[in-house]
Amino acid sequence: MTLWSDLSRNLGEILSYTPGSPMLFSSGLFWGLFLVFLPLYSMLRDRRRQMLVFVVLFSFYFYYRCSGWFVLLLFATSMVDWGLSRLMVRCRSNRARKCCVAVSLLASLGVLGYFKYADFFLWNWSALVGTNFEPLELILPVGISFYTFQSISYIIDVYKGAVAPTRTWLEYAFFLSFFPALVAGPIVRADYFLPQIRQSRHATRTEVYTGLWLIILGVVKKAIFADYLAQYNDLVFNAPGAYSGFETAMGIIGYTMQIYCDFSGYSDMAIGLALIMGFKLAQNFDFPYKSQNLTEFWRRWHISLSSWLRDYVYIPLGGNRHGTFRTYLNNFLTMLVGGLWHGAGWKFVFWGAMHGAGLAVHKASRPWLARLGDSMPVRAVSWFVTITTVMLLWVFFRAATFGDAVVLIQHAVCDFSLDYAPRFAAARQLWLVILIAVIATHAMPRGFWNRAGDMFVRSPWPVKLLVFVAVVQCVIELQGQDVSPFIYFQF
Amino acid sequence: MKDSYKGLWWILAIAFILFFIVSAADGKVSFFGYTPKPSAMYACLLGGENAAAQPDRPVKVGAVELKEPETDTVPAIDTVPKTILFFGDSMLEGLSPRLAAYCQASGHTLYTVIWYSSTSERWGSSSRLSDYIRRIRPDYIFISLGANELFVADIIGKRSRYVRNILRDIGDIPYVWIGPPNWKDDTGVNRMILENAAPGCFFLSDGMKFDRKKDGAHPTSASARLWMDSVVRWMPGHCAHPILMKEPSGQSARPARVFIHQPED
Repeated sequence: MTLWSDLSRNLGEILSYTPGSPMLFSSGLFWGLFLVFLPLYSMLRDRRRQMLVFVVLFSFYFYYRCSGWFVLLLFATSMVDWGLSRLMVRCRSNRARKCCVAVSLLASLGVLGYFKYADFFLWNWSALVGTNFEPLELILPVGISFYTFQSISYIIDVYKGAVAPTRTWLEYAFFLSFFPALVAGPIVRADYFLPQIRQSRHATRTEVYTGLWLIILGVVKKAIFADYLAQYNDLVFNAPGAYSGFETAMGIIGYTMQIYCDFSGYSDMAIGLALIMGFKLAQNFDFPYKSQNLTEFWRRWHISLSSWLRDYVYIPLGGNRHGTFRTYLNNFLTMLVGGLWHGAGWKFVFWGAMHGAGLAVHKASRPWLARLGDSMPVRAVSWFVTITTVMLLWVFFRAATFGDAVVLIQHAVCDFSLDYAPRFAAARQLWLVILIAVIATHAMPRGFWNRAGDMFVRSPWPVKLLVFVAVVQCVIELQGQDVSPFIYFQF
Repeated sequence: MKDSYKGLWWILAIAFILFFIVSAADGKVSFFGYTPKPSAMYACLLGGENAAAQPDRPVKVGAVELKEPETDTVPAIDTVPKTILFFGDSMLEGLSPRLAAYCQASGHTLYTVIWYSSTSERWGSSSRLSDYIRRIRPDYIFISLGANELFVADIIGKRSRYVRNILRDIGDIPYVWIGPPNWKDDTGVNRMILENAAPGCFFLSDGMKFDRKKDGAHPTSASARLWMDSVVRWMPGHCAHPILMKEPSGQSARPARVFIHQPED
């Protein structure tokens, strides 16, 4: 009797929303729920309407568990957007259609602006006019930036006629709240995703195991690599100036790899889960730290966001259609928006602006770079300049304040001495091993990972079980008391 | 279930059962000499109230079993200057000036957040703490909470989750939770904090003698100073993460900033 009462009480507590404790794909809770979800989903997959209802309900519950009653906001967003898209179809005049788009954008961006940027603007306003700043202390709904961008792209695509609006709210709610991509992307585009909803297609066995492979890769990246690296990186970033130049530099390199593992690991899990359900999400990361210039970096890093910004900010601004200067300016402004999307703070604006400036500089110097040829030394120098720029800009992204970032970079550059290296290696052996492992795995050619994935998919069932168990045990062995949420949850 | 899903489902299910068994065995299962670290699965699903609290070597003190840090060696004192956040209820009025004096002498920066009449429930159900952590970015935290919950009935059942929420907000930041200065026996607030706090992070104030103000609850300024001194003396040797606390020249000082919230805030 006590056992059952304990179980029911604990389940009640586990399944209800707990502030600051979102449901992660790498958590035991999600694993347990997915065990229940999978057979039901499999049974309903052929009955399209029932499958839609089931997945939408599960997605809304998933969002409730992550963000509490903000699930109602998600529901309202889906209703408003869907209603306006249907209205747009009925409208004959272009003016009325434009009006629908404007209302939808106003609603989506208004909600995003209120929750994410109100404090930032109030703070700046009070600094300008010299009043006392009282923060509104608003809680940011998890993943609001992601689903807002999805809803914006949908309404604009419907307006342009690039996408046929969904007939039912259910279909649209499925697209907007699809749980694998709901809280931290990849940003799903309607033209790519809606046709998949309309096809009632089961995942093949190969797709199911490829999905499992991607989930395993994601868990390794997020729960083993990123979370372990974070333990040291946090020490360095929380006490700028307290560590030697070498230790600070290691913290900066560590954070560079941590943010990649964290975010690309999440994307891998999301893509893997979707694939298991029979849906294909676009690739979000393509070995970004192999890039030889910033333009290439943004084609490989957070691809779904870069392409969204290209299609809905850069091109509407004029893209490269109005001369060289406007092209650079448009690049710069687009990255400024990208920076602000990542966070409400001047450091994010600076981070975006610097990337925008870097893109402009790269574009401007292309003729000159072309004359250098494509030799190995040129590629090596290009890579070094690119990765150094990216790493230094990550410092502004992670540091608590702009001043902290400057102190960290100063320390890493001016106080750098290899004398600390042996002591550092002795004190932080496992951290160093993991960092080297991350760098090595990132440096592997794409073909290696494709072959590894194929081998896993073709391997006997017990081998798959063994790999899965080994990875989960590694996570448990390395896990600290608190699991760090995905870095991108806050965006 | 479709064939394509069966294999995957069995992998997930068998692994789940396996990890559940290892978790239930709590370190008593070995494979070829390797003892896998158990997950918290069993405790989370079938454990009793506060099952998430890790069993440690207990030291009996009065009605509450104090937990010492897990290591056998005494942790070294961290001498790096810290940004300290001290938050809690009105007890901070007495504690905070003395802590500020220690901080001033030791190169730390102290931020104090007093929320009058606050409880673990108020802090644990609002985003106030996480907002301050985000704003101030402390690398050390002191808490003084519990005095307004000394006589709550079934406090462990009602409020443990809020204590866990507070600790979740604190995350990896080292902290010391200063227990309430009991003027009567409590209904379990000290036990509740102790069971949820990490080993070496809870300072039990129950049992100490205080000179009280007229309200009979708050220690006088002098008594509160001695109270803070006791916490500082306790830190090396008992605290999980002791930090440098030099003897201050003055009796009290001002924190870098004090944030005040009224009960109805």
